[in-house]
Amino acid sequence: MEYEISLLTVMGINIVLALSLNIITGFCGQISLGHAAFYGTGAYCAALATTQWGMSFWSGGLLAMVVAAIFGFFVGFASLRVRDDFLAITTMGVGFLFLGVVRQQDALGGEMGIAGVPGSGLGEFGFMILVLATAVLVIAFSLYIKRSWLGFAFDAIAQDQDTSRTVGIDIARFKLAAFVLGTAIAGLAGSFYAHHVRFVGIDSFGFIESISILAMVVVGGIGSIWGVVVVAAVLSVLPLWLQFVADYQLLIYGALLFSVMQFNQGGLDGIVRQLVRKWRAND
Amino acid sequence: MSKNLRIGFTAAAVALALTSSVRAADVVKIGVNVPQTGFAAADGKSALTGIQLAVEKANANNGINGKQIELIVYDDQASPKNSVPIATKLANKDKVAVAISGSYSSPTRAAAGVFQRSKVPYISAFAVHPDITRAGNYVFRTSFVAEVQGRAAAKLVGQDLGKKRVVITVLKNDYGKALAAGFNSVAAKYGIEVVNSYEYSIKDRQFGPIVSSIKNDNPDAIFDTGYWFVSAALVSQLRAGDVKAQIVGQEGYDGEKFIEIAKGAAEGVIITTSLDRDSADADVKAFMTAFKAKAGYAADMVGASGNTAARVAIAALRAAKSTDHEAVRNAIAAVKVDAVTGKISFNALGEVFKNVQVQIVKDGAWHRHSIIDDPELLAPPSK
Amino acid sequence: MVHFELLVQGLVQGTIYALVAVGLTLVYGLLRILHIAHAGLFSLGGYIALLLANQTGSFAFGLACSVLLVGLAGMAIYRLAYQPILDKPPYVALIVSIGLYIIMEEVFRLVFGPSTISFINPPLQGIVEFYGIRLREVEIATMAVAILFIGGVGILSTKTRIGVAWRATVDDPEMARSFGVRLYSVRYFNFFMASVMAATAGAMVAVSNNMVEPTMGGVPAYKALAIIVMGGLGDVRGTLFAALALGIIESFGTIYLGSILDRDAIAFAFLIIVLMFRPQGLLVRN
Repeated sequence: MEYEISLLTVMGINIVLALSLNIITGFCGQISLGHAAFYGTGAYCAALATTQWGMSFWSGGLLAMVVAAIFGFFVGFASLRVRDDFLAITTMGVGFLFLGVVRQQDALGGEMGIAGVPGSGLGEFGFMILVLATAVLVIAFSLYIKRSWLGFAFDAIAQDQDTSRTVGIDIARFKLAAFVLGTAIAGLAGSFYAHHVRFVGIDSFGFIESISILAMVVVGGIGSIWGVVVVAAVLSVLPLWLQFVADYQLLIYGALLFSVMQFNQGGLDGIVRQLVRKWRAND
Repeated sequence: MSKNLRIGFTAAAVALALTSSVRAADVVKIGVNVPQTGFAAADGKSALTGIQLAVEKANANNGINGKQIELIVYDDQASPKNSVPIATKLANKDKVAVAISGSYSSPTRAAAGVFQRSKVPYISAFAVHPDITRAGNYVFRTSFVAEVQGRAAAKLVGQDLGKKRVVITVLKNDYGKALAAGFNSVAAKYGIEVVNSYEYSIKDRQFGPIVSSIKNDNPDAIFDTGYWFVSAALVSQLRAGDVKAQIVGQEGYDGEKFIEIAKGAAEGVIITTSLDRDSADADVKAFMTAFKAKAGYAADMVGASGNTAARVAIAALRAAKSTDHEAVRNAIAAVKVDAVTGKISFNALGEVFKNVQVQIVKDGAWHRHSIIDDPELLAPPSK
Repeated sequence: MVHFELLVQGLVQGTIYALVAVGLTLVYGLLRILHIAHAGLFSLGGYIALLLANQTGSFAFGLACSVLLVGLAGMAIYRLAYQPILDKPPYVALIVSIGLYIIMEEVFRLVFGPSTISFINPPLQGIVEFYGIRLREVEIATMAVAILFIGGVGILSTKTRIGVAWRATVDDPEMARSFGVRLYSVRYFNFFMASVMAATAGAMVAVSNNMVEPTMGGVPAYKALAIIVMGGLGDVRGTLFAALALGIIESFGTIYLGSILDRDAIAFAFLIIVLMFRPQGLLVRN
């Protein structure tokens, strides 16, 4: 049973993480290629908090969210000065900077990483429940955002920034809000990761990781909640379920990114909608 | 269906069931995490080949007290993100009797924690980070801890080669930094003055600035802590830049590829490692032949280390006469095995004491240079 | 003396970056696409040049074939990957390109193996000395080629009819079309030139390192992106300047900042600083 518990925990963490990017990229149209930096920030905070600063699992997790959100605030601020393509590259740069700084500071673990991160104290099963419950909460939160005025504003900005501005939507505030929310949740996912793997090292938070998270959002359907949840759950455990896939994992990610954007930008969500429409039309 | 056919089917089904269950009970499982994809895939292939050779040989010789060994191999891409779920799977789902790491330091460290918690014996073939065995008494290592190798290199450079002004070039990861730390810890003792120290990333291939600076430093020797796929270019460019200092590397260089890339520049490079290509030992020679036949390229340290770790696991399983994890762990702790990388036995921390092989590139191939066997210098950490 | 050498090293490195980045900025200038798969063409150029050189014993032949084949590959990528999605929002092309790059990198690994492949007879290994600086022939060749290509692109775009058509297409495609400029030809030509430069850079790097590996395009990929943003997207001169500047900054940075910042991070730190103060790019006159 332990193995299945471990799988479900990993799934839950990835769902939370993918949804956090969905808020930034999906709802607000800001393409972030450095999301792993916030995930990593949360993981490192939680690890340091519980191994060196004597904090508990819970307060460490809270710290992780707060620090990631502050970091996200600054990056969000930077995103105000730039648009679209620039933002993508800038966020990629943020990702590399994060790694570049952490690997040089021995206090942050440096190249060695931080080992011996304690468990959550809830036991494997209890931890899994916590993670899955959090995933459910984040799903609910995402739904709420989408249907509320916040979501309306995000949507408008994603569609057309200039018109939104003329209509009076304060773009800056909403972009910042999206970044802060998304990165805080990513930080939370990071703290879960730290207590699950019990080891944080820079290898796990690089550009490939950022792309993997982006892949989950893109393939699920940018902005779609259920699509992202399903794809995140499947992609995160696929290589473990089917070991022969492991050799082709990255190739599959690349092919998925390519195909989805080429043929159906709506991702899984878009494909399903099309099928449903066809099916209804045939009735 | 006719009666005869039904009887036939039933008999076949029963036979099949019997044989498969008998086959299942007849197997001893050894788990392996190794990088088969990703940047470390080349080393992963070597490690796995070494492990497979040991298992094949054992299976041909009555296996583990009559039972065949089954290797369960997973690809960890040299990443802790993968090695942890793999460790969980091997320990809890596949229920292996013992596990071997054919991977680098980071993923091994992370996996060690899991194996220790699940109380499954884990043997690290060549990962050097000191924290690996500190995960607990179920974790063992059949290769040098980085500090030991670093210290041996310092003795080699300062005393045996008599080079006093040294520049250290450090690969920026846990492996490279731990090695450099080991070297620095005893450098003064051997009269070495570390003139300067440079760091580079695992992705760097162009070392122009470092070469220029080293030329300016004008050292007698350079101690480098990188892997072959990074350092071969560094060594090439150093020679092209007319830096004539003696270059001393470590087991990260070990392998044909280093010479293939660095070509003439590799000539005269000396390294500390675990495999003696010029060994007269029949066992080592047989291993090297078998490895070349199986992998298609000459044996390297990583392959030899994998082979050693597997031999230890097999010897322990045979001695324990059971797959009970505690019994196997105790057997490993008490084991004394002759392997291609030396005589293996463990101290209380699970660390091994063995000699350091010093090899040199001569006429385009690795050859024996010397052996370092100072027991005090090479004493592995015990806590 | 060391400082002068570091400067020269920086310029050498900068020319490699420039060869890759200029191609990237040409594509962006024309189509507003961040053509990350460009780095895959860089790697492909290295692989073809090295493998053919090993097969036939002639690096010149390998290089020529590589340049031609990769040029064609670049045009094919335009036609198959980008043309169908030109009307979609910019992030679509960006993600398509990232996906394509990942596919290329993985195909290299699956087809050519995960390990490095080296020249049997590495070309251009001789050393040239002047003013106390030692440079390898390959480094001089790279600089020469870079000057040739980038200078050529410059002359082409200002002094010839093709060049004028090119620039017109960049400024205003519809107007250009109405004047009889054949958009598709211009686009194919653009991708061909960019890919030719990438292939050459890849081949030169393969010689310089004496190895090709599946991931060799990774570092040039994201550094080139940082460079073209700093140079002002679409601006060739700005890109060239930023590439050389980055080469020099990295050169000094590795030695003096090595303990604070990773070499790769230097590029992005530089980028972020530039963007904060000059969001439109280093040389863009606005």
